[in-house]
Amino acid sequence: MIALEHASVKYGHALALEDISIEVGLHEIVAIVGRNGAGKSTTLKTLVGLLPLVAGRRVFGERDISRLSVEQIARQGVALVPDTRRIFPNLTVRENLRIGAVAHQPGYWTEARVLEVFPRLGERIDFGGDQLSGGEQQMLAIARALLGNPRILLLDEPTEGLAPLIVDQLVEVFAHVHRQGTGIVLVEQNLKVPMKLAHRQYVLDHGQVVWSGTSAELKDQRQLVENLITTGAAQ
Amino acid sequence: MNASRFDLWLGLPLAAIALLLPFTGPSDFMLNLATLVMIWAVFAIGFDFVFGLLGMVSFGHASFLGLGGYALALATQMWGLPFCAGVSLAIVAGALCAWLFSFFALRVSGIFFALVTLALSQLLYILADSKLRAWTGGADGLPGVARPGLGGIDFFDSTLFYWYVLAVFALVMAAVVVLRRSPFGRVIAGIRQNETRAEQLGFDVHRYKQITFIVSGGISGLAGALLASLLMYVNPQMLHWTTSGDVIIMTLLGGAGTLWGPVIGVLAFEVLKEWLSGWTQYWYGILGLIFILATLFFPKGIVGELQERYGQWRDKAARRDGRIS
Repeated sequence: MIALEHASVKYGHALALEDISIEVGLHEIVAIVGRNGAGKSTTLKTLVGLLPLVAGRRVFGERDISRLSVEQIARQGVALVPDTRRIFPNLTVRENLRIGAVAHQPGYWTEARVLEVFPRLGERIDFGGDQLSGGEQQMLAIARALLGNPRILLLDEPTEGLAPLIVDQLVEVFAHVHRQGTGIVLVEQNLKVPMKLAHRQYVLDHGQVVWSGTSAELKDQRQLVENLITTGAAQ
Repeated sequence: MNASRFDLWLGLPLAAIALLLPFTGPSDFMLNLATLVMIWAVFAIGFDFVFGLLGMVSFGHASFLGLGGYALALATQMWGLPFCAGVSLAIVAGALCAWLFSFFALRVSGIFFALVTLALSQLLYILADSKLRAWTGGADGLPGVARPGLGGIDFFDSTLFYWYVLAVFALVMAAVVVLRRSPFGRVIAGIRQNETRAEQLGFDVHRYKQITFIVSGGISGLAGALLASLLMYVNPQMLHWTTSGDVIIMTLLGGAGTLWGPVIGVLAFEVLKEWLSGWTQYWYGILGLIFILATLFFPKGIVGELQERYGQWRDKAARRDGRIS
Protein backbone atom coordinates (compact mmCIF):
# COMPACT_ATOMS: atom_id res chain seq x y z
CA MET A 1 0.00 0.00 0.00
CA ILE A 2 1.19 3.52 -0.84
CA ALA A 3 -0.47 6.41 0.92
CA LEU A 4 -0.46 10.06 1.78
CA GLU A 5 -1.71 10.73 5.30
CA HIS A 6 -2.94 14.25 6.05
CA ALA A 7 -0.41 15.55 3.58
CA SER A 8 0.02 19.21 2.71
CA VAL A 9 2.25 20.55 -0.04
CA LYS A 10 3.16 24.08 -1.05
CA TYR A 11 4.35 25.68 -4.27
CA GLY A 12 6.22 28.65 -2.86
CA HIS A 13 3.72 30.20 -0.44
CA ALA A 14 0.65 28.73 -2.13
CA LEU A 15 -0.91 25.62 -0.64
CA ALA A 16 -1.26 23.09 -3.48
CA LEU A 17 -2.48 20.14 -1.38
CA GLU A 18 -4.20 20.57 1.95
CA ASP A 19 -4.55 17.80 4.49
CA ILE A 20 -4.99 15.18 1.79
CA SER A 21 -5.26 11.47 2.59
CA ILE A 22 -5.26 8.88 -0.13
CA GLU A 23 -4.39 5.21 -0.07
CA VAL A 24 -3.72 2.77 -2.91
CA GLY A 25 -3.41 -0.97 -2.42
CA LEU A 26 -0.74 -2.86 -4.34
CA HIS A 27 -3.36 -4.87 -6.23
CA GLU A 28 -5.91 -2.26 -7.14
CA ILE A 29 -6.43 0.44 -9.70
CA VAL A 30 -7.25 3.80 -8.22
CA ALA A 31 -8.10 6.90 -10.22
CA ILE A 32 -7.61 10.50 -9.17
CA VAL A 33 -9.93 12.82 -11.04
CA GLY A 34 -10.80 16.47 -10.91
CA ARG A 35 -10.73 19.68 -12.88
CA ASN A 36 -7.58 21.42 -14.09
CA GLY A 37 -5.49 22.68 -11.20
CA ALA A 38 -7.29 20.49 -8.67
CA GLY A 39 -3.98 18.97 -7.52
CA LYS A 40 -3.99 15.62 -9.33
CA SER A 41 -0.48 15.78 -10.78
CA THR A 42 0.77 17.38 -7.57
CA THR A 43 -0.54 14.36 -5.69
CA LEU A 44 1.43 11.98 -7.94
CA LYS A 45 4.58 14.09 -7.64
CA THR A 46 4.16 14.08 -3.88
CA LEU A 47 3.75 10.31 -3.80
CA VAL A 48 7.07 9.80 -5.62
CA GLY A 49 8.90 12.37 -3.51
CA LEU A 50 9.35 15.07 -6.16
CA LEU A 51 7.59 17.53 -3.87
CA PRO A 52 8.37 17.77 -0.17
CA LEU A 53 5.63 17.55 2.43
CA VAL A 54 5.01 20.53 4.68
CA ALA A 55 2.73 18.41 6.84
CA GLY A 56 1.59 14.78 7.04
CA ARG A 57 3.29 11.55 6.00
CA ARG A 58 4.12 9.53 2.91
CA VAL A 59 3.83 5.80 3.57
CA PHE A 60 4.77 2.69 1.59
CA GLY A 61 3.64 -0.58 3.15
CA GLU A 62 4.12 0.03 6.84
CA ARG A 63 7.13 2.26 6.31
CA ASP A 64 7.23 6.05 6.60
CA ILE A 65 8.99 7.17 3.42
CA SER A 66 8.49 10.91 3.96
CA ARG A 67 12.21 11.54 4.21
CA LEU A 68 13.37 9.26 1.42
CA SER A 69 14.79 10.78 -1.76
CA VAL A 70 13.17 10.38 -5.18
CA GLU A 71 15.48 7.54 -6.23
CA GLN A 72 15.08 5.75 -2.90
CA ILE A 73 11.30 5.80 -3.31
CA ALA A 74 11.67 4.61 -6.91
CA ARG A 75 13.78 1.70 -5.67
CA GLN A 76 10.93 0.64 -3.38
CA GLY A 77 9.08 -0.14 -6.62
CA VAL A 78 7.17 3.08 -7.25
CA ALA A 79 7.29 4.22 -10.90
CA LEU A 80 5.86 7.42 -12.32
CA VAL A 81 5.00 8.00 -15.97
CA PRO A 82 4.69 11.79 -16.04
CA ASP A 83 2.24 13.69 -18.23
CA THR A 84 5.05 15.12 -20.36
CA ARG A 85 6.26 11.53 -21.08
CA ARG A 86 9.86 12.52 -20.54
CA ILE A 87 11.58 9.87 -22.55
CA PHE A 88 15.27 10.43 -23.27
CA PRO A 89 15.04 12.01 -26.74
CA ASN A 90 18.63 11.43 -27.85
CA LEU A 91 18.66 7.75 -26.90
CA THR A 92 17.18 5.07 -29.14
CA VAL A 93 14.06 3.14 -28.17
CA ARG A 94 16.26 0.20 -27.19
CA GLU A 95 18.51 2.38 -25.01
CA ASN A 96 15.50 4.00 -23.35
CA LEU A 97 14.15 0.55 -22.53
CA ARG A 98 17.47 -0.69 -21.21
CA ILE A 99 17.78 2.26 -18.86
CA GLY A 100 14.46 1.17 -17.37
CA ALA A 101 15.75 -2.36 -16.97
CA VAL A 102 18.93 -1.29 -15.18
CA ALA A 103 17.04 0.43 -12.40
CA HIS A 104 15.26 -2.37 -10.58
CA GLN A 105 14.92 -6.02 -9.71
CA PRO A 106 14.08 -8.49 -12.46
CA GLY A 107 10.48 -9.68 -12.58
CA TYR A 108 7.64 -10.47 -14.95
CA TRP A 109 8.37 -7.57 -17.28
CA THR A 110 11.24 -8.20 -19.64
CA GLU A 111 12.23 -6.43 -22.84
CA ALA A 112 10.62 -9.25 -24.86
CA ARG A 113 7.35 -8.98 -22.91
CA VAL A 114 7.01 -5.21 -23.23
CA LEU A 115 7.74 -5.46 -26.95
CA GLU A 116 5.01 -8.08 -27.18
CA VAL A 117 2.61 -5.66 -25.51
CA PHE A 118 3.85 -2.71 -27.59
CA PRO A 119 4.83 -4.25 -30.97
CA ARG A 120 5.10 -0.75 -32.48
CA LEU A 121 8.15 -0.14 -30.30
CA GLY A 122 9.75 -3.32 -31.63
CA GLU A 123 9.36 -1.97 -35.17
CA ARG A 124 11.11 1.25 -34.14
CA ILE A 125 13.68 -0.21 -31.78
CA ASP A 126 16.65 1.66 -33.31
CA PHE A 127 14.82 4.94 -33.77
CA GLY A 128 15.69 7.92 -31.62
CA GLY A 129 13.21 8.87 -28.92
CA ASP A 130 12.65 12.20 -30.68
CA GLN A 131 11.64 10.41 -33.89
CA LEU A 132 8.57 8.81 -32.32
CA SER A 133 5.00 10.05 -32.50
CA GLY A 134 3.21 11.21 -29.33
CA GLY A 135 1.49 7.85 -28.93
CA GLU A 136 4.72 5.93 -29.42
CA GLN A 137 6.48 8.14 -26.89
CA GLN A 138 3.74 7.39 -24.40
CA MET A 139 4.11 3.66 -25.08
CA LEU A 140 7.87 3.97 -24.60
CA ALA A 141 7.47 5.86 -21.32
CA ILE A 142 5.09 3.19 -20.01
CA ALA A 143 7.24 0.32 -21.31
CA ARG A 144 10.35 1.79 -19.68
CA ALA A 145 8.53 2.13 -16.37
CA LEU A 146 7.30 -1.49 -16.62
CA LEU A 147 10.84 -2.79 -17.20
CA GLY A 148 11.66 -1.66 -13.68
CA ASN A 149 9.03 -4.19 -12.54
CA PRO A 150 7.33 -1.66 -10.27
CA ARG A 151 5.01 -2.71 -7.50
CA ILE A 152 2.94 0.37 -8.13
CA LEU A 153 2.67 2.36 -11.35
CA LEU A 154 1.59 6.00 -11.30
CA LEU A 155 0.25 7.28 -14.62
CA ASP A 156 -0.29 11.00 -15.12
CA GLU A 157 -2.84 11.56 -17.90
CA PRO A 158 -1.47 8.72 -20.04
CA THR A 159 -4.14 9.04 -22.74
CA GLU A 160 -4.02 12.82 -23.13
CA GLY A 161 -3.89 13.85 -26.78
CA LEU A 162 -3.83 10.30 -28.13
CA ALA A 163 -5.99 8.83 -30.90
CA PRO A 164 -8.97 6.74 -29.65
CA LEU A 165 -7.46 3.57 -31.12
CA ILE A 166 -4.25 4.03 -29.13
CA VAL A 167 -6.26 4.89 -26.00
CA ASP A 168 -8.10 1.57 -26.33
CA GLN A 169 -4.76 -0.26 -26.70
CA LEU A 170 -3.42 1.44 -23.59
CA VAL A 171 -6.53 0.55 -21.58
CA GLU A 172 -5.92 -3.10 -22.46
CA VAL A 173 -2.28 -2.77 -21.47
CA PHE A 174 -3.16 -1.23 -18.09
CA ALA A 175 -5.59 -4.07 -17.41
CA HIS A 176 -2.87 -6.57 -18.34
CA VAL A 177 -0.35 -4.80 -16.06
CA HIS A 178 -2.84 -4.96 -13.21
CA ARG A 179 -3.44 -8.68 -13.78
CA GLN A 180 0.31 -9.21 -13.29
CA GLY A 181 -0.05 -7.87 -9.75
CA THR A 182 0.96 -4.25 -10.16
CA GLY A 183 -1.09 -1.54 -8.47
CA ILE A 184 -2.00 1.45 -10.64
CA VAL A 185 -2.75 5.05 -9.79
CA LEU A 186 -4.34 6.76 -12.74
CA VAL A 187 -4.74 10.49 -13.13
CA GLU A 188 -7.07 11.33 -16.01
CA GLN A 189 -9.25 14.17 -17.17
CA ASN A 190 -11.08 11.84 -19.52
CA LEU A 191 -13.43 10.00 -17.18
CA LYS A 192 -14.03 7.22 -19.67
CA VAL A 193 -10.76 5.48 -18.88
CA PRO A 194 -11.03 5.60 -15.04
CA MET A 195 -14.63 4.42 -15.27
CA LYS A 196 -13.52 1.40 -17.30
CA LEU A 197 -10.52 0.49 -15.17
CA ALA A 198 -10.52 1.92 -11.68
CA HIS A 199 -11.81 0.08 -8.65
CA ARG A 200 -11.89 3.23 -6.56
CA GLN A 201 -11.69 6.93 -7.30
CA TYR A 202 -10.75 10.11 -5.51
CA VAL A 203 -12.19 13.40 -6.66
CA LEU A 204 -9.95 16.37 -5.96
CA ASP A 205 -10.82 20.04 -5.92
CA HIS A 206 -8.61 22.93 -4.81
CA GLY A 207 -6.02 20.54 -3.39
CA GLN A 208 -8.46 18.63 -1.22
CA VAL A 209 -10.23 15.30 -1.53
CA VAL A 210 -13.89 16.21 -1.97
CA TRP A 211 -15.15 12.72 -2.62
CA SER A 212 -13.88 9.14 -2.59
CA GLY A 213 -15.52 5.83 -3.27
CA THR A 214 -15.86 3.05 -5.81
CA SER A 215 -16.41 3.72 -9.51
CA ALA A 216 -19.93 2.34 -9.18
CA GLU A 217 -20.63 4.79 -6.37
CA LEU A 218 -19.22 7.66 -8.44
CA LYS A 219 -21.72 6.90 -11.20
CA ASP A 220 -24.49 7.40 -8.66
CA GLN A 221 -23.12 10.78 -7.58
CA ARG A 222 -24.76 12.45 -10.54
CA GLN A 223 -24.30 16.03 -9.39
CA LEU A 224 -20.59 15.56 -8.75
CA VAL A 225 -20.03 13.95 -12.16
CA GLU A 226 -21.97 16.78 -13.83
CA ASN A 227 -19.77 19.31 -12.09
CA LEU A 228 -16.68 17.56 -13.41
CA ILE A 229 -18.11 17.47 -16.91
CA THR A 230 -19.09 21.14 -16.96
CA THR A 231 -15.56 22.15 -15.98
CA GLY A 232 -14.26 20.17 -18.93
CA ALA A 233 -12.89 17.28 -16.96
CA ALA A 234 -14.70 14.71 -19.01
CA GLN A 235 -15.16 15.08 -22.74
CA MET B 1 20.77 7.75 -35.23
CA ASN B 2 23.02 4.79 -35.89
CA ALA B 3 26.03 6.35 -34.18
CA SER B 4 27.98 3.11 -33.83
CA ARG B 5 28.17 2.55 -37.61
CA PHE B 6 29.16 6.18 -38.08
CA ASP B 7 31.86 5.80 -35.41
CA LEU B 8 33.16 2.76 -37.25
CA TRP B 9 33.29 4.57 -40.60
CA LEU B 10 35.15 7.46 -39.02
CA GLY B 11 37.39 5.29 -36.87
CA LEU B 12 38.62 2.97 -39.61
CA PRO B 13 40.51 5.59 -41.69
CA LEU B 14 41.85 7.21 -38.53
CA ALA B 15 43.15 3.84 -37.32
CA ALA B 16 44.66 3.14 -40.75
CA ILE B 17 46.45 6.50 -40.77
CA ALA B 18 47.73 5.95 -37.21
CA LEU B 19 49.00 2.46 -38.05
CA LEU B 20 50.63 3.42 -41.35
CA LEU B 21 52.21 6.71 -40.27
CA PRO B 22 55.48 5.23 -38.90
CA PHE B 23 56.02 3.39 -42.22
CA THR B 24 55.84 6.56 -44.32
CA GLY B 25 59.22 7.77 -43.12
CA PRO B 26 58.00 10.68 -41.05
CA SER B 27 60.33 13.17 -39.37
CA ASP B 28 60.79 13.13 -35.60
CA PHE B 29 58.77 16.35 -35.48
CA MET B 30 55.83 14.69 -37.24
CA LEU B 31 55.99 11.61 -34.98
CA ASN B 32 56.17 13.74 -31.86
CA LEU B 33 53.23 15.83 -33.06
CA ALA B 34 51.18 12.67 -33.71
CA THR B 35 52.16 11.35 -30.26
CA LEU B 36 51.20 14.66 -28.67
CA VAL B 37 47.82 14.59 -30.47
CA MET B 38 47.10 11.09 -29.11
CA ILE B 39 48.05 12.10 -25.56
CA TRP B 40 45.88 15.22 -25.66
CA ALA B 41 43.16 13.06 -27.21
CA VAL B 42 43.31 10.76 -24.16
CA PHE B 43 42.95 13.86 -21.98
CA ALA B 44 40.08 15.21 -24.09
CA ILE B 45 38.31 11.82 -24.00
CA GLY B 46 38.58 11.82 -20.20
CA PHE B 47 37.37 15.41 -20.03
CA ASP B 48 34.45 14.64 -22.36
CA PHE B 49 33.12 12.10 -19.89
CA VAL B 50 32.12 15.01 -17.70
CA PHE B 51 31.61 17.66 -20.38
CA GLY B 52 30.01 15.75 -23.24
CA LEU B 53 28.30 12.88 -21.46
CA LEU B 54 27.17 14.62 -18.27
CA GLY B 55 26.94 18.13 -19.75
CA MET B 56 29.01 19.75 -16.97
CA VAL B 57 31.75 22.29 -17.74
CA SER B 58 34.78 21.54 -15.58
CA PHE B 59 37.75 23.86 -15.24
CA GLY B 60 39.37 21.39 -12.85
CA HIS B 61 40.73 18.90 -15.34
CA ALA B 62 44.11 20.63 -15.57
CA SER B 63 44.59 19.54 -11.96
CA PHE B 64 44.04 15.87 -12.80
CA LEU B 65 46.36 16.12 -15.80
CA GLY B 66 49.07 17.93 -13.84
CA LEU B 67 48.83 15.63 -10.84
CA GLY B 68 49.19 12.65 -13.17
CA GLY B 69 52.36 14.14 -14.59
CA TYR B 70 53.77 14.92 -11.16
CA ALA B 71 52.80 11.49 -9.82
CA LEU B 72 54.87 9.80 -12.53
CA ALA B 73 57.79 12.21 -12.06
CA LEU B 74 57.87 11.81 -8.26
CA ALA B 75 57.28 8.05 -8.34
CA THR B 76 60.13 7.36 -10.74
CA GLN B 77 62.60 10.08 -9.70
CA MET B 78 62.06 10.54 -5.98
CA TRP B 79 60.77 7.16 -4.87
CA GLY B 80 62.54 5.00 -7.46
CA LEU B 81 59.41 3.14 -8.51
CA PRO B 82 59.22 1.41 -11.91
CA PHE B 83 57.50 3.21 -14.79
CA CYS B 84 54.37 1.04 -14.68
CA ALA B 85 53.88 1.77 -10.98
CA GLY B 86 54.36 5.47 -11.74
CA VAL B 87 51.66 5.41 -14.43
CA SER B 88 49.31 3.51 -12.09
CA LEU B 89 49.98 6.11 -9.43
CA ALA B 90 49.21 8.86 -11.96
CA ILE B 91 45.81 7.31 -12.69
CA VAL B 92 45.11 6.98 -8.95
CA ALA B 93 46.25 10.58 -8.33
CA GLY B 94 43.92 11.93 -11.04
CA ALA B 95 41.01 9.84 -9.78
CA LEU B 96 41.66 10.73 -6.13
CA CYS B 97 41.86 14.44 -6.91
CA ALA B 98 38.59 14.18 -8.88
CA TRP B 99 37.00 12.37 -5.93
CA LEU B 100 38.05 15.17 -3.57
CA PHE B 101 36.89 17.88 -5.98
CA SER B 102 33.55 16.11 -6.36
CA PHE B 103 32.68 16.63 -2.69
CA PHE B 104 32.64 20.39 -3.26
CA ALA B 105 31.86 20.74 -6.95
CA LEU B 106 28.94 18.30 -7.24
CA ARG B 107 26.97 20.19 -4.61
CA VAL B 108 26.27 22.79 -7.27
CA SER B 109 25.54 22.76 -10.98
CA GLY B 110 25.83 24.90 -14.10
CA ILE B 111 28.07 27.95 -13.91
CA PHE B 112 28.68 27.37 -10.20
CA PHE B 113 30.12 23.93 -10.91
CA ALA B 114 32.51 25.54 -13.41
CA LEU B 115 33.49 28.21 -10.87
CA VAL B 116 34.09 25.75 -8.02
CA THR B 117 36.27 23.51 -10.21
CA LEU B 118 38.14 26.60 -11.44
CA ALA B 119 38.77 27.78 -7.87
CA LEU B 120 39.97 24.36 -6.68
CA SER B 121 42.18 23.96 -9.74
CA GLN B 122 43.79 27.36 -9.28
CA LEU B 123 44.34 26.61 -5.61
CA LEU B 124 46.27 23.52 -6.58
CA TYR B 125 48.20 25.45 -9.24
CA ILE B 126 49.26 28.11 -6.72
CA LEU B 127 50.30 25.43 -4.22
CA ALA B 128 52.37 23.64 -6.88
CA ASP B 129 53.91 26.90 -8.08
CA SER B 130 54.93 28.23 -4.67
CA LYS B 131 54.18 26.39 -1.44
CA LEU B 132 55.04 22.88 -2.62
CA ARG B 133 58.20 23.92 -4.48
CA ALA B 134 60.26 21.22 -2.75
CA TRP B 135 58.06 18.58 -4.44
CA THR B 136 57.14 20.29 -7.68
CA GLY B 137 60.25 22.28 -8.51
CA GLY B 138 58.15 25.46 -8.52
CA ALA B 139 58.08 27.37 -11.80
CA ASP B 140 61.17 25.44 -12.97
CA GLY B 141 59.28 22.16 -12.81
CA LEU B 142 60.85 18.70 -12.72
CA PRO B 143 63.00 17.70 -15.71
CA GLY B 144 64.06 14.17 -16.60
CA VAL B 145 60.69 12.41 -16.30
CA ALA B 146 61.06 8.73 -17.18
CA ARG B 147 59.99 6.92 -20.31
CA PRO B 148 58.88 3.30 -20.16
CA GLY B 149 61.51 0.59 -19.91
CA LEU B 150 60.05 -2.66 -21.20
CA GLY B 151 62.28 -5.59 -22.10
CA GLY B 152 65.20 -3.47 -23.18
CA ILE B 153 63.17 -1.50 -25.75
CA ASP B 154 64.49 2.03 -26.22
CA PHE B 155 61.43 4.23 -25.78
CA PHE B 156 63.56 7.33 -26.21
CA ASP B 157 63.23 6.47 -29.89
CA SER B 158 60.34 8.59 -31.23
CA THR B 159 58.89 5.75 -33.33
CA LEU B 160 58.85 3.25 -30.47
CA PHE B 161 57.40 5.79 -28.08
CA TYR B 162 54.74 6.53 -30.74
CA TRP B 163 53.77 2.83 -30.80
CA TYR B 164 53.63 2.76 -27.02
CA VAL B 165 51.29 5.79 -26.89
CA LEU B 166 49.20 4.41 -29.76
CA ALA B 167 48.70 1.17 -27.80
CA VAL B 168 47.61 3.10 -24.69
CA PHE B 169 45.34 5.33 -26.80
CA ALA B 170 43.73 2.25 -28.41
CA LEU B 171 43.14 0.71 -24.97
CA VAL B 172 41.54 3.91 -23.70
CA MET B 173 39.30 4.14 -26.79
CA ALA B 174 38.25 0.50 -26.36
CA ALA B 175 37.48 1.09 -22.67
CA VAL B 176 35.48 4.19 -23.53
CA VAL B 177 33.44 2.33 -26.17
CA VAL B 178 32.66 -0.44 -23.66
CA LEU B 179 31.80 2.07 -20.94
CA ARG B 180 29.56 4.17 -23.19
CA ARG B 181 27.64 1.08 -24.31
CA SER B 182 27.37 -0.40 -20.83
CA PRO B 183 24.31 0.10 -18.62
CA PHE B 184 26.40 2.67 -16.75
CA GLY B 185 26.98 4.62 -19.98
CA ARG B 186 23.29 4.58 -20.83
CA VAL B 187 22.42 5.89 -17.38
CA ILE B 188 24.84 8.83 -17.58
CA ALA B 189 23.49 9.63 -21.06
CA GLY B 190 20.03 9.59 -19.52
CA ILE B 191 21.13 11.82 -16.62
CA ARG B 192 22.45 14.36 -19.09
CA GLN B 193 19.14 14.47 -20.94
CA ASN B 194 16.83 14.48 -17.95
CA GLU B 195 18.23 14.32 -14.45
CA THR B 196 14.85 14.32 -12.72
CA ARG B 197 13.59 11.47 -14.88
CA ALA B 198 16.70 9.44 -14.13
CA GLU B 199 16.08 10.00 -10.41
CA GLN B 200 12.48 8.88 -10.81
CA LEU B 201 13.72 5.69 -12.44
CA GLY B 202 15.60 4.96 -9.23
CA PHE B 203 19.14 6.06 -10.06
CA ASP B 204 21.28 7.78 -7.47
CA VAL B 205 22.21 10.64 -9.78
CA HIS B 206 24.82 12.13 -7.44
CA ARG B 207 26.62 8.80 -7.17
CA TYR B 208 26.63 8.32 -10.95
CA LYS B 209 28.00 11.84 -11.43
CA GLN B 210 30.68 11.22 -8.82
CA ILE B 211 31.79 7.95 -10.42
CA THR B 212 31.88 9.60 -13.85
CA PHE B 213 33.96 12.45 -12.45
CA ILE B 214 36.39 9.98 -10.85
CA VAL B 215 36.73 7.92 -14.07
CA SER B 216 37.30 11.17 -15.96
CA GLY B 217 39.97 12.20 -13.43
CA GLY B 218 41.71 8.83 -13.73
CA ILE B 219 41.88 9.05 -17.55
CA SER B 220 43.16 12.63 -17.27
CA GLY B 221 45.82 11.47 -14.80
CA LEU B 222 46.94 8.84 -17.30
CA ALA B 223 47.17 11.53 -20.01
CA GLY B 224 49.26 13.64 -17.62
CA ALA B 225 51.71 10.78 -17.11
CA LEU B 226 51.99 10.24 -20.89
CA LEU B 227 52.50 13.96 -21.51
CA ALA B 228 55.20 14.23 -18.84
CA SER B 229 56.85 11.16 -20.32
CA LEU B 230 56.76 12.58 -23.86
CA LEU B 231 58.13 15.96 -22.80
CA MET B 232 60.36 14.32 -20.16
CA TYR B 233 59.38 17.31 -18.09
CA VAL B 234 56.56 18.50 -15.88
CA ASN B 235 55.84 21.96 -14.48
CA PRO B 236 52.93 23.71 -12.71
CA GLN B 237 51.71 25.18 -16.01
CA MET B 238 50.06 21.81 -16.63
CA LEU B 239 47.83 22.59 -13.64
CA HIS B 240 46.90 26.07 -14.83
CA TRP B 241 43.27 26.78 -15.74
CA THR B 242 44.28 27.63 -19.32
CA THR B 243 45.05 23.93 -19.82
CA SER B 244 41.42 23.21 -18.92
CA GLY B 245 40.40 26.02 -21.30
CA ASP B 246 42.36 24.41 -24.13
CA VAL B 247 40.72 21.03 -23.65
CA ILE B 248 37.27 22.68 -23.62
CA ILE B 249 38.05 24.35 -26.96
CA MET B 250 39.40 21.10 -28.42
CA THR B 251 36.35 19.11 -27.35
CA LEU B 252 33.85 21.70 -28.58
CA LEU B 253 35.69 22.01 -31.88
CA GLY B 254 35.54 18.25 -32.43
CA GLY B 255 32.06 17.63 -31.03
CA ALA B 256 31.30 17.12 -27.35
CA GLY B 257 29.58 13.87 -26.39
CA THR B 258 30.58 12.05 -29.58
CA LEU B 259 33.09 9.20 -29.56
CA TRP B 260 35.58 10.70 -32.02
CA GLY B 261 34.81 14.37 -31.39
CA PRO B 262 37.51 14.94 -28.75
CA VAL B 263 40.09 13.17 -30.93
CA ILE B 264 39.25 15.17 -34.07
CA GLY B 265 39.09 18.35 -31.99
CA VAL B 266 42.59 17.78 -30.61
CA LEU B 267 43.88 16.95 -34.09
CA ALA B 268 42.36 20.13 -35.57
CA PHE B 269 43.59 22.27 -32.65
CA GLU B 270 47.16 20.96 -32.69
CA VAL B 271 47.53 21.06 -36.48
CA LEU B 272 46.14 24.60 -36.61
CA LYS B 273 48.37 25.60 -33.72
CA GLU B 274 51.49 24.26 -35.43
CA TRP B 275 50.58 25.82 -38.75
CA LEU B 276 49.51 29.23 -37.38
CA SER B 277 52.38 29.54 -34.89
CA GLY B 278 54.87 29.11 -37.74
CA TRP B 279 53.14 31.92 -39.56
CA THR B 280 52.41 34.53 -36.89
CA GLN B 281 53.05 35.14 -33.21
CA TYR B 282 49.35 36.01 -32.82
CA TRP B 283 48.35 32.45 -33.56
CA TYR B 284 46.27 32.08 -30.37
CA GLY B 285 44.09 35.05 -31.37
CA ILE B 286 43.48 33.58 -34.81
CA LEU B 287 42.73 30.20 -33.25
CA GLY B 288 40.24 31.94 -30.96
CA LEU B 289 38.57 33.54 -33.97
CA ILE B 290 38.34 30.17 -35.72
CA PHE B 291 36.84 28.71 -32.56
CA ILE B 292 34.22 31.49 -32.37
CA LEU B 293 33.27 30.99 -36.02
CA ALA B 294 33.14 27.22 -35.54
CA THR B 295 30.80 27.47 -32.55
CA LEU B 296 28.58 29.92 -34.47
CA PHE B 297 28.31 27.88 -37.65
CA PHE B 298 28.99 24.33 -36.37
CA PRO B 299 27.68 24.34 -32.80
CA LYS B 300 27.78 20.55 -32.63
CA GLY B 301 31.45 20.45 -33.59
CA ILE B 302 33.05 18.76 -36.58
CA VAL B 303 32.04 15.21 -35.68
CA GLY B 304 28.65 16.27 -34.30
CA GLU B 305 27.78 17.96 -37.61
CA LEU B 306 29.04 15.02 -39.66
CA GLN B 307 27.08 12.60 -37.48
CA GLU B 308 23.89 14.61 -37.93
CA ARG B 309 24.31 14.72 -41.71
CA TYR B 310 25.04 10.99 -41.77
CA GLY B 311 21.81 10.39 -39.79
CA GLN B 312 19.80 12.56 -42.20
CA TRP B 313 21.31 10.74 -45.17
CA ARG B 314 20.43 7.36 -43.65
CA ASP B 315 16.85 8.45 -42.89
CA LYS B 316 16.45 9.72 -46.44
CA ALA B 317 17.82 6.46 -47.83
CA ALA B 318 15.53 4.42 -45.57
CA ARG B 319 12.48 6.43 -46.68
CA ARG B 320 13.46 6.06 -50.32
CA ASP B 321 13.74 2.30 -49.87
CA GLY B 322 10.43 2.20 -47.99
CA ARG B 323 11.99 0.83 -44.77
CA ILE B 324 10.36 3.61 -42.73
CA SER B 325 7.29 5.74 -43.37
